Amino acid sequence: MITSFFEVCREFPVAVLCGCLLAVTCGCFGVFVLMRRLGFISIALSECSACGIAAASLYGFSPLAGATAMTLLAVCALSTDWERLRIPRDSILGTVFVFASALSVLLVSRSGMGLLEVKALLYGDLLLASKHDLMQISLIHLPLLGLLLLCLRSLLFAFMDSAGARVAGISVRVLELAFFVALGMLISSAAKTAGSLLVFCYLVVPPATGLLLSRRLWAVMLLTVFCGVTATLIGLTASYHWDLAGNQCIIIVACVLLGVLPSIKALVVRMFH
Amino acid sequence: MEQGCNIIECRDLALAYGQDTILEHVDLDIRPGGLLPFVGANGAGKSTLFKALLGLLPPKNGEIRRLWGKACPGYVPQQQHIDPIFPVTVRSIVAMGLYPECGFLRLLSKEQAERLDATLSHFGLAEHQGKTFAELSGGLRQKTLIARAVIGNAPIIFLDEPVAGLDAASEEAVLELLIDLCRHQGKTILIAHHRLEDLSRLSPQVCLVGHGKAEVLPSETAYGRLRGGMA
Repeated sequence: MITSFFEVCREFPVAVLCGCLLAVTCGCFGVFVLMRRLGFISIALSECSACGIAAASLYGFSPLAGATAMTLLAVCALSTDWERLRIPRDSILGTVFVFASALSVLLVSRSGMGLLEVKALLYGDLLLASKHDLMQISLIHLPLLGLLLLCLRSLLFAFMDSAGARVAGISVRVLELAFFVALGMLISSAAKTAGSLLVFCYLVVPPATGLLLSRRLWAVMLLTVFCGVTATLIGLTASYHWDLAGNQCIIIVACVLLGVLPSIKALVVRMFH
Repeated sequence: MEQGCNIIECRDLALAYGQDTILEHVDLDIRPGGLLPFVGANGAGKSTLFKALLGLLPPKNGEIRRLWGKACPGYVPQQQHIDPIFPVTVRSIVAMGLYPECGFLRLLSKEQAERLDATLSHFGLAEHQGKTFAELSGGLRQKTLIARAVIGNAPIIFLDEPVAGLDAASEEAVLELLIDLCRHQGKTILIAHHRLEDLSRLSPQVCLVGHGKAEVLPSETAYGRLRGGMA
């Protein structure tokens, strides 16, 4: 297994780097998504991104442009204050998700692609990541991560107590919109390479593990990154070793970590107290 | 009441959510340096009036003059509005009260960090500063939010139902804290609450909110009206 790990690093360095980068950036954003109790927005935006890629393949323009346009359109729609219209936000997220899923299938069915091409297009495969993909993701994700870290304290205040933050002079609406636009850009640039399911996993599963393991924000973020990167490395190694699908292996490992690490923590706490 | 001595003045104020008018024809003059309870039944419009006074809700009609200067007011929301899922310590929550005077990164200077330590000690929170909001009792949560509102040296503090859900001892501790802030630090303290009995001893006047109106009355008069079912 250890030999397989080194072989994966040697044979698929771009996939390993891409996966680790996505685990870091999506994980940090995911912590805020979960704290805002909007985990489902990640899958809705991922699906919109896949829909944009499908539209791009049919009409012959850049997949990144298609994914970004569709995702930002969804962000604008979701930024409406739906709760004032007495509609739960979850129902809107669900509607966006099923609409984007159905439209993706309709668009690719018109493009004349084969099943494998469609699957690769909509669900991506990290192992197929190219240097261009890595460059593209780095150029988009690293500045977004930097912005998130710069606005971390204001964003935390705005998400935790929006009225209190507004009284303190923080532009909560602008900050929230900027966060969700950044999230949309993050997802749309990652979905083509990693696939919507893996991006959703990075945004939800490692942050949930981090939140279960610690009650300190910085520790939560570091643990999230640790779990995401560990799941990527173990998942890719397992995929190489047993000839399995890479993305799905990463997702399974991330979910296993979510189930196992909090139990280990509880056991350790019990032993030392 | 003489104009120019007040910290808040409202003239012919009307507040609404969409087509639903909550309060109208409200004229208020609030003097600085006292404690004024806003009393009324649940849903009477106390929180709505607070939102408008804080600038969070634009008036449908009329005018609000906020005369406390450039400083941000202190605000203590109802504690159930703070989601305990957030992994933030008591120290970080109280530090948020200093954000209006911090730079873009919201990093504290040495003087601000010292002020934070002093505030945590003053409110008896020093030993709890490493705990998260979820790990605190109701009384300590309320103290944390009051400390956050006070640390920025705000001249006026709005508290929305600060003793709701607290046991008698915690309620007493919180009210003592507010009286101390009012008497020794000269703060103007506005409290929204749904029971007059708890607060009438704190102030000779109350603002009675109900039936679409809000008016400042002597406590005795307000109590009489409440017993008569007029608010």
